[in-house]
Amino acid sequence: MTIFNDIAEALQNGDQQAVRDLTRKALDDGSKPADILSSGLIAGMDIIGEQFKNGDIFIPNVLIAARAMHTGLDILKPILAETGSKPVGRFVIGTVLGDHHDIGKNLVCMLMQGKGFEVVDLGTNVSPDKFVESVKDNEINILGMSALLSTTMSQMKDTIDKLETAGLRDKIKIMVGGGPLTQSFADEIGADGYAPDAASAAEKALELAAC
Amino acid sequence: MTGKQRILTAMSLKEPDRVPLYIHAINEQPIIGIGRHITEGLPDPKSFYEMNDQEKSKLVDTLFLIHETFEVDGFTSFEIGHEIVVDSVHVKDDWGVVYERSPYGLPVATGHPLTDSNKLKSFIPPKPKPDHLLLLDLGRERFKGQKALFWMMRGAFVRSWRLAGMENLMLKMFDDPGFVHSLASMVTDYSLEMLDMLIEAGLDVLIVEDDIADKKLPLISPAQFQEFVNPYNKKLVEKAHAHGLKVMRHSDGNLWPILDIILETGYDGLNPLEPQADMLLKKVKDYCGKRICLLGNIDCIDLLPGGTPEEVDVAVRQAIVDAGDGGGLVICSSNSLHPGVNPENCIAMFEATRKYGVY
Repeated sequence: MTIFNDIAEALQNGDQQAVRDLTRKALDDGSKPADILSSGLIAGMDIIGEQFKNGDIFIPNVLIAARAMHTGLDILKPILAETGSKPVGRFVIGTVLGDHHDIGKNLVCMLMQGKGFEVVDLGTNVSPDKFVESVKDNEINILGMSALLSTTMSQMKDTIDKLETAGLRDKIKIMVGGGPLTQSFADEIGADGYAPDAASAAEKALELAAC
Repeated sequence: MTGKQRILTAMSLKEPDRVPLYIHAINEQPIIGIGRHITEGLPDPKSFYEMNDQEKSKLVDTLFLIHETFEVDGFTSFEIGHEIVVDSVHVKDDWGVVYERSPYGLPVATGHPLTDSNKLKSFIPPKPKPDHLLLLDLGRERFKGQKALFWMMRGAFVRSWRLAGMENLMLKMFDDPGFVHSLASMVTDYSLEMLDMLIEAGLDVLIVEDDIADKKLPLISPAQFQEFVNPYNKKLVEKAHAHGLKVMRHSDGNLWPILDIILETGYDGLNPLEPQADMLLKKVKDYCGKRICLLGNIDCIDLLPGGTPEEVDVAVRQAIVDAGDGGGLVICSSNSLHPGVNPENCIAMFEATRKYGVY
């Protein structure tokens, strides 16, 4: 267990080199890749997510932790793919049409990866049609939409309507978030989940993936 | 009292004849929507850059007219003419930052020219130009000392992240702190030079416009704020004060974790006090209302877009009850009057301020 704790701790410190070295060492010592992922990288990101949610740390700390996580993931991913290991879910996300603000969306991506999701990031200014295409083209479990501007929030409902028209709505769960959003707005447009911050979004996604 | 006297008195934490009214920022759509109640010949709602010269002139005149008709006591101006059009959706400012236009809101910086120390070494920053102050000049000529003239000056954090990219800048706080300091120092030198021009041009209130928080928390830690941002913005405050100007700090979001630092910096005013970000007017007034003037808090997320004029009337009356005592309150929306606000609700806010604001 110690090396997993060391990986988790190095990740929280944003120490890329240590995460890389410890991940390799754990593999060399015979640890299973899935265990390194869950007990090292994901465990470390869980702590980061919790601290971020509680206001104990701020965005820059999440960024350096996520960057360190990727040094470990880069080593583990090809091995996990060979062994047929599956992510906990596939999550596609984008900032809605007309909205170019992306730091909140990027934090969600990082913390979703930290929960073991495979993330498809469509970027910013994503049209309802592009969201629909992405759901068609990928084996998606959850679709996430982000908006910072109150003027772009209506794009979320348009996207949900288009998913319904395309017969895809019931195949996925839909999450929404962003500065001006509320739970009542999410309920009103028929989303399955809302979270007030990126860490809570990752937790909510785990809940939805298990449904 | 003139509007200018009213604002300056409130920002000196004294009682004017009535609670002042202020528009911090306003988009084209609400200018047109409110303007239709007081003038004719306005274009259909569209972005300023889509308007012809006649429409632009009408829009600016209507903005002035709104301030006159509804007795808005302060007028905000900002730098214009510093951007060039790259293509149908992109503009570039004189620092080389590329912005993407959107019909849904303000342009967003998406192209960042100074991502590391090497690029910074060979970079020659622009010089502020007097003709970029056109809006301030027009406001001064129009209002002739009747209204307080505000200037929206981007602070060290916003200018720096636009140059470097926000996430990159945050990573550089760990990887290359010297780079972050050099950027902040460079943009502050520019702002200080521009401040000389603004003082010369008759400015009354400098706005240090430096969004540093989201609804839940500051974007960076208090320690990072204290190291990389606040000392640079403080230079603007000190210079403005040395020339007799008032200084208002603007930042969206929840500022509680850094509020003491902001207060110690010596700002005269705090804006826009978003209720959804726990910047509740009574709470802030109780905490620091004797140290800093409060400008804002009339909810532009839910109330001004979706409420009724009667609800706005009640909210303004309550704000004055909560924070009007002893001065140090200016009624203003909790952020810009954006394209989603209902013009009738804006007018209700203006009228209620006059109705309930008399001391």
